[in-house]
Amino acid sequence: MLHRDTAFKISMMLPLGLLTAYFLLLVSSQSTFFSIAAFTEQLSGRDLRSAITLSLFAATVSSILAIIIAIPSAYALARLDFPGKRIIDTFIDLPMVLTPIALGTLILMAWNTAIGHLLSNLGLTLPFTVAGVILAQFTVIIAISIRMLKATFEQISPRQEQVARLLGCSAFGSFLHVTLPMARRGILAAIILTWARAIGEFGATVMVAGTARGQTATLPSSIYLAMSMADLPKAVTLVMILISISLLVLWGVRIALESKS
Amino acid sequence: MIRVEQLVAQRGNFTLGPLDLDLGKESYLTLLGPSGSGKTLFLETCMGLIPPGSGHVWLNGQDVTSSRPEQRHISYLPQDLALFPHLNVRENILFGAKRRRIDNSIVADRLNNLLTLLELHGTINRGDVTTLSGGEKQRVALARALLPQPRMLFLDEPFSALDATIKRQLQVKLREVNQQLGVTILHVTHDQEEAFMLGEKIAVMIQGKLCQIGSRDDIYYRPETLEVARFLRNQNIFEMTVEEVLPCGTVQMSNELKLTVPKHERARKGQRFATGIRSEEVVIIRPNKPIGPELQENLFRANVTDILAFGGTHTLCIKLQGSNTTIDVELPNCAMRDLGYAIGDDLQICLRKQSLWTIPLD
Repeated sequence: MLHRDTAFKISMMLPLGLLTAYFLLLVSSQSTFFSIAAFTEQLSGRDLRSAITLSLFAATVSSILAIIIAIPSAYALARLDFPGKRIIDTFIDLPMVLTPIALGTLILMAWNTAIGHLLSNLGLTLPFTVAGVILAQFTVIIAISIRMLKATFEQISPRQEQVARLLGCSAFGSFLHVTLPMARRGILAAIILTWARAIGEFGATVMVAGTARGQTATLPSSIYLAMSMADLPKAVTLVMILISISLLVLWGVRIALESKS
Repeated sequence: MIRVEQLVAQRGNFTLGPLDLDLGKESYLTLLGPSGSGKTLFLETCMGLIPPGSGHVWLNGQDVTSSRPEQRHISYLPQDLALFPHLNVRENILFGAKRRRIDNSIVADRLNNLLTLLELHGTINRGDVTTLSGGEKQRVALARALLPQPRMLFLDEPFSALDATIKRQLQVKLREVNQQLGVTILHVTHDQEEAFMLGEKIAVMIQGKLCQIGSRDDIYYRPETLEVARFLRNQNIFEMTVEEVLPCGTVQMSNELKLTVPKHERARKGQRFATGIRSEEVVIIRPNKPIGPELQENLFRANVTDILAFGGTHTLCIKLQGSNTTIDVELPNCAMRDLGYAIGDDLQICLRKQSLWTIPLD
């Protein structure tokens, strides 16, 4: 029996071990092209600092926007009955199956319609603007947020909300005092994943906002630019920075999440 | 206290009602019915969680049919208790009082009384509600429900997941709560023992309809429909035809056996009735012992065909001599030991007239 149990554990652990080794290979292979001198030099560059700042800012804003929209939308899909629910539920998954470049194209085309022109006239210009970066990232990550939060709300029994209502809460009050606090771990997990997805977003961002150095170039698009000009030290530096920021944030939020729970 | 009139509600293909019910102040009604009979749907409709298709709900003489749940001042203890896992024990108990903005000094008084009544002084300062035992969770949920002093307390099978000992302790505690706090309770259950132990009044719901409302004895000994009789485990049911209505009102009925049953206002010669007797009401006549006057009618000789042993009782399955009628006779273990019956034994039984119930079939 013990022998079989060990075989089972190995068959489960082996793919995980291979995957970890593969990721380590990817990261460690960067060291061939990495030098401290180049790293320090790149960090002092204005373009790089701008790319880091923009990436952090845009990912944070787009994640916050996504969560603000996703919480009520996911709740509506999880709890409420309304006409066309199944169609809407399917439709909002579109960004998950479309390639980001196609999504970027859709956004640009939409901005060439009457509504797009109206929004442009109101000051919401997308090409080569930070707003374009944020909207592109938002469009890519919103479906993930909704999907994750819908699963979270579905796991919470509606009985708790009903009891809260009967104890004196309004519908909004029971959502605020019972449902949201009970969903906090799911919400935090959704924030982590969408933020991580947003900071690494490339295709839609490039299509909508371009890669103007010092203006709309994010870390991923700067990596692309560096690689297209065969500037390997710069590309590797950028990759290392992106990896460091992502791991640092993911680790930090995970610690916060575990201490809360 | 609560009155529903022609209440109809729908969930999927299931229709509840139309229902009529009038429950007075400070009483305890148990709503008894099999699973899927619409008991929870009835509670949800009364609480305003589900809009009724038609009909009205009154609370304290006020029509609350279109009021929001929080405006009805009903507290609810569902089967899973629905304690709030993100709040500690104290926060759970105080939740309703806080939401209803009850004055702190009033809350402190009520809380102290409740903690004493529900023996929660040692539990209130515990942190995580998920670490409480089943019985503690029940008492915390009950305290949370009672602290805002609701107009009514609705209980939906709250003890179904507990073991027998804790269940009995909490049932006794619930009776104390009802008597000491004077809160009107509507308690939904499929557990017949629980319904008869707790309910001052019992309503039987089957397939979305209230089949009978009455006292314990009414429901237990005098079912008004065959569905109620069968649901309450009446094993001995016979279909019979009225032969004669005697001048004193007593009715004689027959099929392959003849029975004298109590007066029934709808009894007419030739009419079909269902009549029955609970298995524990069948009297075994001991040989060579004098028989009282109430045991002179409906005497039969029978043979034991099977003996079923349950925890505290035995059931004798007997077949009446000269007919195919079988009857179950329930005996406590001590009586069974005294009588010492075995399969094939011959005995005499009496289906006492006063113990027979009758339901017209036409």
